[in-house]
Amino acid sequence: MAESSLQGLAQLSTSRWGAAAARAGGPGDAIDGCAPLLILEPPDVPTLADMLAWANKERLVVVPRGGSTKIAWGTTPSSVDIVLSTACLVSPIDHCAGDLTATVPAGATLAAVNQTLARERQWLALDPPFADRATIGGIVATNDSGPRRHRYGTPRDLIIGVEMALAGGRVSKAGGKVVKNVAGYDLARLLCGSFGSLAIITHATFKLAPAPPASTTVLVSAPQAGTLAELALVVAAAPLTPSAIEIEAPGARLLIRFETTEAAADRQAAATCALCAGRGVDAQILKAEAETTAWRDYERRLSPPQAAVARLAVLPTQVGDVLEHVTRVAGKRHVNCVIGGRVALGVLVIAVTGPSAEAVATTIDELRRNAWARGGSVVVRSAPADVKALVEVWGDVGDGWPVMQSVKMRFDPNRILNPGRGPGGL
Amino acid sequence: MDSRFIEELAHAAGPGALLQDPADLLTYESDALVHLHVIPGAVVLPASAEAVQAVVRLCYRDRVPFVARGHGTGLSGGALPVENGVVIGLSRLNRILDVDIPNLRVTVEPGVTNLEITRHVAPFGCYYAPDPSSQIVCSIGGNIAENSGGAHCLKYGFTVHHVLGVEAVLPDGDLVRLGGPVLDTPGLDLVAALVGSEGTLAIVTKATLRLLRRPEAVLTLLCGFRSIDEAGEAVSAIIGCGIVPAAVEMMDRLTIDAAEAAVHPNFPPANAVLIVELDGPKSEVDELFTIVESVCHERGATSVEAARDPAQRDRIWKGRKAAFAAMGRVSPNYYVQDGVVPRTKLPEVLRRIRELEARSGLRIGNVFHAGDGNLHPLICYDEAVPGQAEHAEQVASEILTYCVEAGGAITGEHGVGADKKAAMPRMFSADDLDTMQLLRCAFDPTGICNPGKVFPTPRLCGEVPGPYRQHPLERAGIAERF
Repeated sequence: MAESSLQGLAQLSTSRWGAAAARAGGPGDAIDGCAPLLILEPPDVPTLADMLAWANKERLVVVPRGGSTKIAWGTTPSSVDIVLSTACLVSPIDHCAGDLTATVPAGATLAAVNQTLARERQWLALDPPFADRATIGGIVATNDSGPRRHRYGTPRDLIIGVEMALAGGRVSKAGGKVVKNVAGYDLARLLCGSFGSLAIITHATFKLAPAPPASTTVLVSAPQAGTLAELALVVAAAPLTPSAIEIEAPGARLLIRFETTEAAADRQAAATCALCAGRGVDAQILKAEAETTAWRDYERRLSPPQAAVARLAVLPTQVGDVLEHVTRVAGKRHVNCVIGGRVALGVLVIAVTGPSAEAVATTIDELRRNAWARGGSVVVRSAPADVKALVEVWGDVGDGWPVMQSVKMRFDPNRILNPGRGPGGL
Repeated sequence: MDSRFIEELAHAAGPGALLQDPADLLTYESDALVHLHVIPGAVVLPASAEAVQAVVRLCYRDRVPFVARGHGTGLSGGALPVENGVVIGLSRLNRILDVDIPNLRVTVEPGVTNLEITRHVAPFGCYYAPDPSSQIVCSIGGNIAENSGGAHCLKYGFTVHHVLGVEAVLPDGDLVRLGGPVLDTPGLDLVAALVGSEGTLAIVTKATLRLLRRPEAVLTLLCGFRSIDEAGEAVSAIIGCGIVPAAVEMMDRLTIDAAEAAVHPNFPPANAVLIVELDGPKSEVDELFTIVESVCHERGATSVEAARDPAQRDRIWKGRKAAFAAMGRVSPNYYVQDGVVPRTKLPEVLRRIRELEARSGLRIGNVFHAGDGNLHPLICYDEAVPGQAEHAEQVASEILTYCVEAGGAITGEHGVGADKKAAMPRMFSADDLDTMQLLRCAFDPTGICNPGKVFPTPRLCGEVPGPYRQHPLERAGIAERF
């Protein structure tokens, strides 16, 4: 698009929605180096829908943005006309404590939501990174989760209803506000992990969990990560109810968290220590400050600066072999791989840094081939632009691809919503 | 159906898999919602995914509508045949294909019954969590179509939380694998879209399911209350204590009496009983039991009995699960409704149901999953009395209105099917329904996969909202509006 007409659009949008809701994009808004022309920040859902309808008519590419914590996930965009921010869609948080449900606007951060829910000793049981900035819309759109996925699942498991704005400007809802409901198609779950490629999420309703009264973590160390992967499965199979079992390597450690009543958490932690002792593995119980610090440090170590971060999924029993393979490949390619993740679910996060983009990219390719041979997958989350240029973000999405394209075509026929960036490059 | 199509259908379905005899077809005229019935053009009982695929390809070529059917236990007419259409019965696809205990996965064909899975993996200390009341007979394929729940879904979720991957035949006959035994398959979550789509998007021919390990301890409490309201307050108080029990069920006087007459579960003489089940590590269960017991006493429980062994537990659950069938003891006929309200609205909605009962002159029994607000009012009537069946249906429909007005849903587990499609606009706007149609059209643009279900008056794919225009398929006499 010619620069003059771009400026014309900027002026047009400012006059239509006001300077508070529309401004020109700057370098700070760039996505993988691709700067948007316009930043639109609608004050409410009807305005958001109006903006989408306009963008659709003008065939302008729209990238939805929440707290920007995952804006660089997905394929590098070929062009971005509009970044549509949900920053103003932050209230109200409708908490039905007696029903253990809440309906929240897309732009609210997870931390803000959980702060509100905490008043009634409840919470939305999700703990992806950057809860203070990550928004509900972004978390749902990427189906992101954290260590407590072990017990509570991902947004897909907790969402019960959604309100969305479609490319043509239509606002519609699916699901509802009750936990049990099988009326109509489950579009709320379809939007989980859709990366804004089908619609823009404006509100989501979740089932909540009671906030656990106490927390205790068992920290287990061993020389070999493989030993810990095996131990994690033993703990998962024991009559215990951990909320998280995370592995960390190198410097192999397991963090096993119990969140229940204080007495039950203590008993389960002690039982875990006994299991470890039986296998000759060191374990220590962390509580209060020491526990908080251990988890904070773990999260920090998992996101080294300038790393390419990938999610690797295999069967839980394959994790030991995969850890060994990662170490071998890292040695061969002279790259550094920090591994973490939900070991008993078979879902790992691997942060790769190395001497060159080529070394990092070939490492990811090699890990992907290995996971693929096991029936698993590797998806690149965030990565420096030069790495992304050399490696496929999604890998093969399997036989469902023609149907996914067909779904995209029906929901967004003009391909204005995050085109090419969503799952498989939708 | 023309003879050439029938001949090809017989070939596609495989040896002995085609039923055409009128007496055979009659067996398939309805599912468990017997008042709706349509004789299909043909029934096929393929024995392999390939045969299902061959049948669907043929239907697609000739634009013949088809309806997948599991074991026919659906309560909303989801497997109601289409006139001149093909019913694809999946009961012969009944093998458990793979059991992977270390990874807690099982892969089955759709005709395997729900309980068969649990029986198969029980020796390994595992089970399959969703437990609809019909679990002895209902099929996994049907469970997937309906996103079945059960008494324990309060804590463990629905079918959608336990299906990891499927192999499915799409409406054009393509066979696809979606999801799989490994979590986080890249791509849109089409498995989530298929689960609960009531057979309108594809036919599942294989499913990989998540297993759970049996909890160390299970404890079931049976509590008597003077009124439903008191029992309801006890439920709120339990959840208010931060406890999510494995199950919370409630029955009123009429359903207690019916259950007593039928299976003698020895329920206490009360106007309402509450069944609360706790499970988990033994120490945790013991600790929570003390809290629940005292909450029930505080809220006026007239009796609290704890069942600690399987025999006692089975007796209690037998009373609860027999409630529907037991209504036959107190009424010649009854209509089972399925609606959901936010749990906190239960007292208000139950009050409206009691007023309706008084006004209508029909007795209404209430048995419900109190933990998640899923009501199953049982409307008693006598079909020998002219007009009473229709009256019962109207009463059932009015109860749905109460549910929607309270912010709930028109179905919690039985599905929309053919039965409630006209009620969908009470819950969803025209825009909402149009958006759902986008998914339908992405999977089934020609509208041959279980047509006439879920949606009230679906537009045909490719049709834009606005004044009526005849769709090319209508012009060609291939499709019609209903």
